[in-house]
Amino acid sequence: MFDTSWMTRWQSAVNTNGPMSWLGKHLTADILLGFGEKQFVVNFRNGKVASFTDQLGPETCYQLALKAPAESWAKFCEKMPPPMYNDIWAMAHPLHGRLQMEGDQKVLWQNMRAMFWAFDRMREV
Amino acid sequence: MAKIEPIVGRYIWVPYEGTEYRMYFEEAGNPNGIPMICLHTAGTDGREWRHQLCDEKINKDFRVIAIDLPRHGKSIPPYEWYQENEEYKLTAKYYSGIIMAFSKALGLDKPVIMGSSMGGNICLHLARDYEDEVSALIAVEACEWSPGWHLDWLRHAHIHGGEVCATSVFGLMAPQSPDKYRWETWWYYSQGGPGIFKGDLYFYSYDHDFRGQTQKLSGKVPIYYMTGVYDFACTPEMTEEAARNTKNSECIIMEEIGHFPMSENPEVFNRYLYPVLEKIVAAAK
Repeated sequence: MFDTSWMTRWQSAVNTNGPMSWLGKHLTADILLGFGEKQFVVNFRNGKVASFTDQLGPETCYQLALKAPAESWAKFCEKMPPPMYNDIWAMAHPLHGRLQMEGDQKVLWQNMRAMFWAFDRMREV
Repeated sequence: MAKIEPIVGRYIWVPYEGTEYRMYFEEAGNPNGIPMICLHTAGTDGREWRHQLCDEKINKDFRVIAIDLPRHGKSIPPYEWYQENEEYKLTAKYYSGIIMAFSKALGLDKPVIMGSSMGGNICLHLARDYEDEVSALIAVEACEWSPGWHLDWLRHAHIHGGEVCATSVFGLMAPQSPDKYRWETWWYYSQGGPGIFKGDLYFYSYDHDFRGQTQKLSGKVPIYYMTGVYDFACTPEMTEEAARNTKNSECIIMEEIGHFPMSENPEVFNRYLYPVLEKIVAAAK
């Protein structure tokens, strides 16, 4: 889980999703997703996952990072996720702090509907 | 045969602290039954209670009344709202006061108050400040202190307020709740006035802090706490702590439901609610 093969399947789930075709029209952003030690930078372009990479270096740019232990993401991805893991905010709420947000958080708030819809597609992988 | 619901909506002018508020409310049920005022969650309106307003079992013994607070739903803001010098912030004093002013204007005698989220938290204030004017309190998704959500992002010129208010609360609902009802709740949230959700959360996250005060409630009014296991803003543990500190209270933890029980999964919520209402009816006899 959370390797390149898994990311490719998630990319496909997002890019072929019907509502995402209009929900994501204005979602263009570069996001780092941290699944424990494993990290990817995901390049959203007009609601599509245009590309992603785990080759992070001095030239890798991103606007926002969402980082949580792989175990937390795994629970989030369950078909019927347990309480406190069923949503990005469930994990990120200050009361719980299982998911850390770093960087330009305005990007998240401006694109929350499309971005969360894309993350929910992880349950289809 | 047309499918018409029993809900009737009306407007009432409510005087409170020198201002008259045009408030919208919906009601159904037994006109001679026990009056029960239902309070919506932050940033939305009384539509959240439509399933309870249509429930025959509830309507048999209760006059069920769902209100829209001023600035919410069909209750317009006070006329001078556009020239206020400070952004809207709901306070405990105003919130509890306008509820009881509404009750008085409608001529209700010691109603039951049932509210969810901020409507649950205000029940603690009503128990302290209006214990002679209410007969029972049903505090849904309530606790002593619920920090962390009074955020500028919720009213920001660069951000779509409707979509972001609705999406930021969507995960408070349980994945087991029917999609049709979860997305209906999302829809309600997308329709709040600008800054109203944020302003309500001033009460929810700041002005409501009952830590150290809950133990001082007299216990004259019974409080029924009801919280869903998927509520990450007011967890079952937070409600249990409040209930432990409250005299004459019960604590009901609801499985497979979240922060908006009445609207996200009315069938499950009503199953938990019926026994509470039966106790209130028995106490009234």
